[in-house]
Amino acid sequence: MNTLKIILTLLPFVWTIGMIPFANKVHPIVLGLPFLAFWFVAGIFLAFVCLQAIYFIDSKHRQDS
Amino acid sequence: MSNETVSLLIIFLFIIGATIVGLIPGMNKKMNLEEWAVGGRNFGRWLNWFILAGEIYTAFAFLGASGWAYSRGGPTFYILGYGALAYIVGYYLLPTISPIGRKHGLMTQPDLIEHLYNSKTLSLLTAIIGVAFLLPYLQLQLTGLGLIIETCSYGQLTRIPAMLIAFILVASFVYLSGLKGVASTAVLKDILLMIAVVFFGLYLPIHYFGSLGGMFEALETAKPGFLALPGGTKNFDVSWVMSTLVVTSLGFYMWPHFTTNSFSARNPDVLRHNAIYLPLYQICLLFPMLVGFAALLLLEAPLKTPDMAFMTIVQKLFPGWTLGLVGGAGALACMIPAADLLLSTSMLFTRNIYSKTIGKNTDPNNLINVARIAVLGLTTIALCLAIFLPNMLVNLLLTGYSGVTQFFPMIVLGLYWKKSTKLGAYAGLIIGEILVFTLILGKMDPLPFAGMNLNAGFVALLINSIVFILISLSTYTPVKTKKEVSL
Repeated sequence: MNTLKIILTLLPFVWTIGMIPFANKVHPIVLGLPFLAFWFVAGIFLAFVCLQAIYFIDSKHRQDS
Repeated sequence: MSNETVSLLIIFLFIIGATIVGLIPGMNKKMNLEEWAVGGRNFGRWLNWFILAGEIYTAFAFLGASGWAYSRGGPTFYILGYGALAYIVGYYLLPTISPIGRKHGLMTQPDLIEHLYNSKTLSLLTAIIGVAFLLPYLQLQLTGLGLIIETCSYGQLTRIPAMLIAFILVASFVYLSGLKGVASTAVLKDILLMIAVVFFGLYLPIHYFGSLGGMFEALETAKPGFLALPGGTKNFDVSWVMSTLVVTSLGFYMWPHFTTNSFSARNPDVLRHNAIYLPLYQICLLFPMLVGFAALLLLEAPLKTPDMAFMTIVQKLFPGWTLGLVGGAGALACMIPAADLLLSTSMLFTRNIYSKTIGKNTDPNNLINVARIAVLGLTTIALCLAIFLPNMLVNLLLTGYSGVTQFFPMIVLGLYWKKSTKLGAYAGLIIGEILVFTLILGKMDPLPFAGMNLNAGFVALLINSIVFILISLSTYTPVKTKKEVSL
């Protein structure tokens, strides 16, 4: 597993779990959501983007080999 | 027609429609056990996606998320967090498991354990623990369905006859069509449920408060801090949410039925492809929460059962036919996961308990009949539990997620770490499960520790992993325990 894949795998965990102490507040309300809810929703999109990238890296590898 | 007649009519139309759709795949075909349980391992991308998604968006997602938002506030948001992380775990895990299953003809999670550790007893133990945690999960779906029908009939029809009818129908299509029946109904359910939650989740806040932000500002004024942690609870604070997210994201794919489902994929790429699109589906869990928050502001009398927040607000503010549509979608959200759970539990029982103990000499071709009879037996047990002991198993249910998460070290390290041993797996699993039970039944969940409130399953998982690794290292002998996880 290359470094980029490890970073892409861990990043959503750090965002969604590791950063909670800093995201635990109601204000500012972003996109109509309390900040904590917004943080988790943003985490979903981050996980989605990271997984797309990992999938892309993996399928390139498979084609190469 | 009166409101209750209309709404009940619509619900039963849904239930009967789903049953017919579910029955079709099994109508003209003679199935063997493999065909029945894992769909002949031939599900393509979208069908497999719908099974996995259908499993995830259960009565809990629909009623539980709105109920939690209504009663607990901020801590509910953890539900948004774990799914996307679980899919990252699944992205690596499922494509590793699936080819092993195909190569060695595995169908269930205990099959996998037997293959990894070459131990029939460990596999039997895993099967028994699996059934013990799946049964209350099945009962939860039943109870949810009963509550929905009760609300939709405006109290005219009680939940016992309602559960009876619906579950005879579920059992009948699982009996006949197996996993294919579950898949075709899952498609129908997901579309309906998605429309229902998105509509109400946006309509209520916008219609009554002008916008989402308007609703949350009103809520923050009425109940300051309710939308952050620990919200409406005492100890579901930051440390609880963090430890719970670890447990739920790692434990997610440890539910025995997911292993069975992953064996139904045509090839590992189907599973990878699924994993990368499932996170977006997770956004849908936000909408039932919005309904729960709106209910908290709009309903005057506090609800005795917070899980009914969604249904009650629809019943109070909308005509009977709307309630019927929501109830119909909700009924399917209970029935379809129940069907899948029923199928997996029946497989665990038939393959890993019955045919390994009392039914050792059963002709393999006859096993499908045993599995089908098990479906009927398990439905009856779950129904009896739901009717006669509605609260007895609540404790057991609470231990469910924490309980299955204890499989994690055994399965994941067993797959990827060459030095894992059978003794390590035994020790870790047994200590993990004992801890889960003592902590949860002893009302020590969350466990106060150094100023934090830790999820009991997290504590158990931590100790389980340490024990697993230490015992494995001390019992590992390179020649004897060398096993090949052939991919």
